[in-house]
Order: sequence, then C-alpha cells, then structure tokens
Amino acid sequence: MNCASTSNGGMLWLLVKVNLLQTWRRLLSVRQQSWLLTAVIAMFLAGYAALAFFLFYKGLKFAGSFPGLGHVLIERMMFLLFAFLFVLLLLSNMIVSYTSLFKNRETLFLLPLPVPLQTIFQWKFIESAILASWAFLFLVAPMLAAYGLTQQVRWHFYPATLLLILVAIVIPASGGAWAAVLLARFLDRRSFQVGLLVTAAMLIVFGAVWLKPVGVTDEELETRVLIVLDRLLGKTRFALFPFLPSYWVAAGVQQWAEDALGDATFYALVMASNALFFGTLVLTLTGTAFYNAASIVLSRGSALGRWKWYQTWRKRRAVDALQHGPVDRLIGAIPWLKPDKQALIVKDIRVFWRDTTQWGQTVVLFGLLAMYILNLRHFGAQLTSPFWSHVVSYLNLFACALNLATVTTRFVYPQFSLEGKRVWIVGMAPIGLPKVMITKFALSTAVSLCVTVGLMVLSGWMLKLEFEKLADLGLSAVVMTFTLNALAIGLGTLYPNLKEDNPNRIVSGFGGTFCLVASFLYIVLSIAILAASSPWGRGGRIDLSWVLGGRAVFLGLSCVVGLFPLKSGLRRLATFEL
Amino acid sequence: MIELVNLVKKFGGLVAVNNVTLTVPRGEFFALLGPNAAGKTTTIKMIAGLMKPTSGSVRVSGYDVVQQPLEARRQLAYVPDFPFLYDKLTPWEFFRFIGRLFLMDSARIERVAREFSARFSLDPYLGNPIESLSHGTRQKVAIVSALLHEPSVFVLDEPMVGIDPQHARVLKDILKERSRAGTTVFISTHQLSVAEEMADRIGIMHEGRLIAVGTRDELRRQSGTDGALEQTFLALTAQESAADMQGVAQKPAV
Repeated sequence: MNCASTSNGGMLWLLVKVNLLQTWRRLLSVRQQSWLLTAVIAMFLAGYAALAFFLFYKGLKFAGSFPGLGHVLIERMMFLLFAFLFVLLLLSNMIVSYTSLFKNRETLFLLPLPVPLQTIFQWKFIESAILASWAFLFLVAPMLAAYGLTQQVRWHFYPATLLLILVAIVIPASGGAWAAVLLARFLDRRSFQVGLLVTAAMLIVFGAVWLKPVGVTDEELETRVLIVLDRLLGKTRFALFPFLPSYWVAAGVQQWAEDALGDATFYALVMASNALFFGTLVLTLTGTAFYNAASIVLSRGSALGRWKWYQTWRKRRAVDALQHGPVDRLIGAIPWLKPDKQALIVKDIRVFWRDTTQWGQTVVLFGLLAMYILNLRHFGAQLTSPFWSHVVSYLNLFACALNLATVTTRFVYPQFSLEGKRVWIVGMAPIGLPKVMITKFALSTAVSLCVTVGLMVLSGWMLKLEFEKLADLGLSAVVMTFTLNALAIGLGTLYPNLKEDNPNRIVSGFGGTFCLVASFLYIVLSIAILAASSPWGRGGRIDLSWVLGGRAVFLGLSCVVGLFPLKSGLRRLATFEL
Repeated sequence: MIELVNLVKKFGGLVAVNNVTLTVPRGEFFALLGPNAAGKTTTIKMIAGLMKPTSGSVRVSGYDVVQQPLEARRQLAYVPDFPFLYDKLTPWEFFRFIGRLFLMDSARIERVAREFSARFSLDPYLGNPIESLSHGTRQKVAIVSALLHEPSVFVLDEPMVGIDPQHARVLKDILKERSRAGTTVFISTHQLSVAEEMADRIGIMHEGRLIAVGTRDELRRQSGTDGALEQTFLALTAQESAADMQGVAQKPAV
C-alpha cells in the first residue's frame, strides 16, 4: 500500500516535472520570437497593472472621501468584487478543466499508460487550476495593492492576503473540476439538458428582475442620497451571505487591513479548512468518475443525439446533403458574382460557421458591446448635455473600432495562412490567388459592415443623435471597417504562416502582433482627428475648412493604412510560389 | 494475450463494434483489416482502455482493462495513428520519461533506448526537440518509446504511415522478433502487404462485425479465391455487403 502510494506520488511528480520542463523551454523560446511581439506583450502587462492600480487607487480614494459612507461603500465593493470574481473563476475553471480533461491530447496519451487514473486527474486538476486562476491573481493584485495603500496597512497584509487568495483558489478549482466531470458525464442526457436550460433561464429572469434599473432623478440624487444609496446597497446584499467563499476572502482581507488579526485568522482558517476538505475530495475520489466521463466523451456522437427532433433533422440533412443549402442559395442569388467567387465565399462562410470557437469569440465581443450600447438608454438623463453626448458617441465609435480591430486581427488576418497546406487547392484553380484574397476581403468587409454600422446606428438611436451626426459617425465606421479589413488581409498575405493550422498561433506571430498594433494606432489617430474636427464639438461654432480638412486627413490616413498593405499583399500573391 | 468477449460499442444509435469475440494468443502476430469506418480503431481504443465497451469485455494478458486497468496497462504498449509526443522534450528525455512511468531503472531505459534508437537510425536526433522532427521520425520515436518496457501485448494503429521503406523493414523485423519472443502483436492496417507478409492470423472487420478470422489460407478458402490477400479481402467484404443488402431486402415492411 505504502509502496503503491509512493509510486503514485512519484508519477504525479514526474508529470509535473515533464510539463514544467516543457513550459520552461517555451519561455526560453521567447528569445527566438520577434522583439516587437515580446515588447508589446510586456508593455500590455505592465500597462495593465499600472493602469489598474491607478484606477483602483483613485476609485478607492474617491469612494473613501464620502464622510460617513466611504467605509461602507468600500466594504461593500470588496464583497461584491470578490463574489463576482469567484463566479467567474468557477466558470473559467469549469471550461478549462473540461478542455484539459476531455479535449486534450496529453490526457489521451496518458490513459493507456500505467498511470493511475487518479494521478492523471490530479495532474490535470493542477494544470487547469493554474491556467484558470493566474488571470484572477493578475486582476486582484493591483486592486489589493491599491486597497492596502489607501488603508495604510502594515507590511504583513500583502503576503498574508496573497496566501489567503492562493488557498481560496482551491475551492472554485475543485468546484470547476467537478462541474466539468459532471458536464462530460451527463451532457447528452435530455433531463440534464432541460435542467441546465431551465436553471439558465431562471437565472436570467431573476437577474433581469433583480437588476432592473431604477430611475433616479437629479433632484433625488441631491436631496435623498441616503435613500438611493440604501436601495442600491440592498441589491448587493447577496454578497454578504456568510457561507460564500468570496465572503471569507473579502472579510479576511478587510480584517487583516484593519489589523484585527484574530478575526482575519478565523476567516483564513475557515477558508483553509474548506479548501482542504474539497481539495482532498477532488484529489482522492474523482479518478474513476473522470475515466467514466472521458470514455463517454470519446464515445459520444452529439450531445443532442438522444432527441427525436435532432435525429429527424439529421436524417433529413443526410437526405438533403446533395441539395443546395441556404448559404448556397443566398450567395447564388447575388447576380454579379461569378461561380468561382461564389464557391469561395460559400466555403469560407461554412468553414467559419462550423468552427464554433471562431464565431463564438466574435459573438461574445460584439454581444458585450451591443449590451453596453443598449443600456445607454438608462443614462438618458445624464446624457442630456451635448458635451457628454458628443464624448460618448465618439467613445462608442472608438470601442466599436477596437472590437473590430480585435476581430480583424483574430479572424481576417489568418485567412490566407489558414489556407495553409491547402493553398494549392485555390492556388491551382483558374481564379488566381489575388482574386481569392480580394474575395476574402470583400466577404469580411461586408460582414463587418453589417455589425459596425448596425452598432453605430443603435448607439446613435440610444443617444438620440440628430441624423447628420449619426450619418457622420456611420460613414466614419464604414471607412474604418474597410481600412481595418484591408490592413488585416494585406498583412496576413505579407506575413503568411502556411505551416500552422491553429489561427491563434498564426495571429501570435510577428505579422499578427504588427497588425494589432497598427490597427490600434490607426484607430487612436482616427478618433483623435475625427473628434477634433467634429462640427459638433466646438460649442456649435462650425469652421468648415477645419471640418473638411480633418475629414480629408482621416480619409488620407485610412487610404494609406489600408491600401498600402493590401496592394503590397496582392502584388506578392501575383508571384507567389505554391 | 488479448481476449475480446462479445464486445459491443455503440455511439448513440450507431453500432461501431458489434458483438466481436476474438482471442489472440501469446506470441501471435494478428493483423486487423477492414474498410474505412469498419470499427478497427474503436476496437483498438477499447483494448487500449481509452473507451469502455458498451457491453462485453476486453482482457489483456488475463487482466480486464476496465476492472484491472493498471495491471492491464503495465502489460500493454499502444501506438496510435497520430501519437502524442511532448514537443519541447528531446527524444532521449521522452524515452526516460516513459521508462520511468513503467518504473524502469535508468540503466535499463538507457540500454533498451540505445538499442532501438540505433535500429531506427534515431541517434542524430536524440538531442533535438521533438517539435523539430519530421512526421516519420516522430512516429519512430513513438514506436521506440512503446517498445521500451518490453510489453507483452503491443497494439499499433496504422504503424507504417510516414515511415520510409528502410525503417518500415526495421519495424517489421522488430515486430516479428517480439512476437517470436512471446509478445502478442495486434496491428490495424490498410496495407494488405504488411498483413500478408507478417501476420500469423488476419481478421477482417466490416460494419462493426468481425466477418472473418484465420490464416491467409483459411481466408482464401472462406472467400473462394486463390490469389493475393487483396482479392480475398475484396471478395469477403463484397460478400458481406451483398448479404447485408439481402437482409435489408428480406426484412418485412413495418
């Protein structure tokens, strides 16, 4: 027994060592990476930490400046922040654990080896917890530093809170791993799916009712601030439920900051005992459940396979497989498109649509932006001032363009590289590579235009902008959409990576980083030029030459940034050797 | 020894492996043939313990792969068609890692790894990162790592893919030597020449069922052909397809 357990521990250590060696060598290979990429990553990391610290520090100082209320507000914000971060951490652990346990080649490699199932699970649990939680540490570190500074804590606050948070991470990691195993085990059960849907619907309805915006007039804010605040705090009381792990962390951190070391130690011990209990359960009793779930995931055709309607749909689809689908019919209806270009567009749409990770990220990015824009209506009273309306409308254009830049870099830039080993298929076809890329450019621009112009119109409508202003913003969005797509397609062709199938890896090379940086600089410059030369931004005084000059500079900049790489890319393709 | 008893694997409504019973004794070289989607890889995955059977059982050297997984895996080596390797390790580091998972001591790992590396001409690559190796070389690294612990059951899925003719010969020689030394070798392949040249017995799978098992001569007799294995294989699978069609036609309408 003793011998077996030593050997299992030894195997876990062996797995940890091999993966540490792999990680170390990956880090060393950063030296071979382009300096621009390394510099950009370092700059973003340092910039985020500095900016987050600054904003937290200023925010905490501001909240603390309300006499009599500051302490209550800061305390509640801490409880709320940790509650939301814990939920995010739980979800992130669940997703990472699912991928790591059931969609990972290393797991499949280890399963036929004489490594105990529990040991495989333990290693994957550790790996997932680290992958899912490092960002949490990165998020809370500047906040805790700012909190410590504003509360003028003693030196031991920092190591003590770090230790508390490291222990706290075990609880969502255990919950996430268990949830991933359960999800894998029962995902194809109809009752499980119905239960999940009902729970999600109930949470959405409950959230919508609970967080329903309450109108507050300026007069109320002036005269009845305590009542308004009390109403607001009432909605956040759930974060004070004493059985929540986030409550123990937030309470422990605050007690430590106030030098109430006895209370702080109590919360730390509650946290440690729970982490030990759940951690031990997960690390000792999950091996068989994990193996059963892994076998089911490997054997599963489709999660919806048990539904009659799905089976009928599949059968019908199999029969209709040789017929033209809706995408064929839609693209085929465009009269000026030749069949070769139609085929290319249909292929690109299908490949994009069938790769859930591709469009899933786009939906999340633009979905969040749409939710923000839709919620602008609740700030109607605060946005009556023309100045703020002006600022917010340009900020919306800025946010929309930044989102678009992320999407073009992530999805449009790798388009040529993704043809990869298959480039000969389109390369040998009589259409020619330059036309292939022009078609890709047209498709990505057309799709992006629907989204960006739609969002700008929605934003203008929510802000109740007059037509001229809306048209100005809409046209600016159109120009930026063309430019960002041209830039991404052009650079993607100039810096192809034809060996790689994974778009994330293609994007993380020199060209992808350059594309992101160039897009970001172009957007910042464009918004600055547009806002500075806006006919509505100078207190109603319109200097036509200034306005037209600004627009001309914006158009010129867009042409240079978009057309130059696009033309260079097309020239390169004309002589590209397959 | 490998024992498959009434083995069934269902993927939803699809029966991927349908009531397969087969015993491959110690020291036998067994080749599993079949058209695409016949159920060969699913059968191999169940032998390797990657998937649990829907019903029936798999025993490796007398150990049930579901009930006694650790004991079964200690006897087994499995090389899939696209093996996973740690990209940032060198082949030598990878061999040491695998050897230690099988609780081998360093001297033995070194001795066996040196022997097989030399036979597969891997010596120039032993210190290079695996990520820099060609597909064929990676396949050779996977095969050497599987041979390290001198398994009593060796299961390979399409082992010759990507390997040059010279080293394909080396692999065939090694597999034959191992089988003569008592290792049960179970390979799935589409290369009929490999099965014809190497296998003591051949099994043919079709639509999840094991439709024929035997030596080359037994299969020839069963198919009614007397040419190469290719003709035997085509005749047997065609007969089976015809029987299936007839079965469908004779089924009373519901």
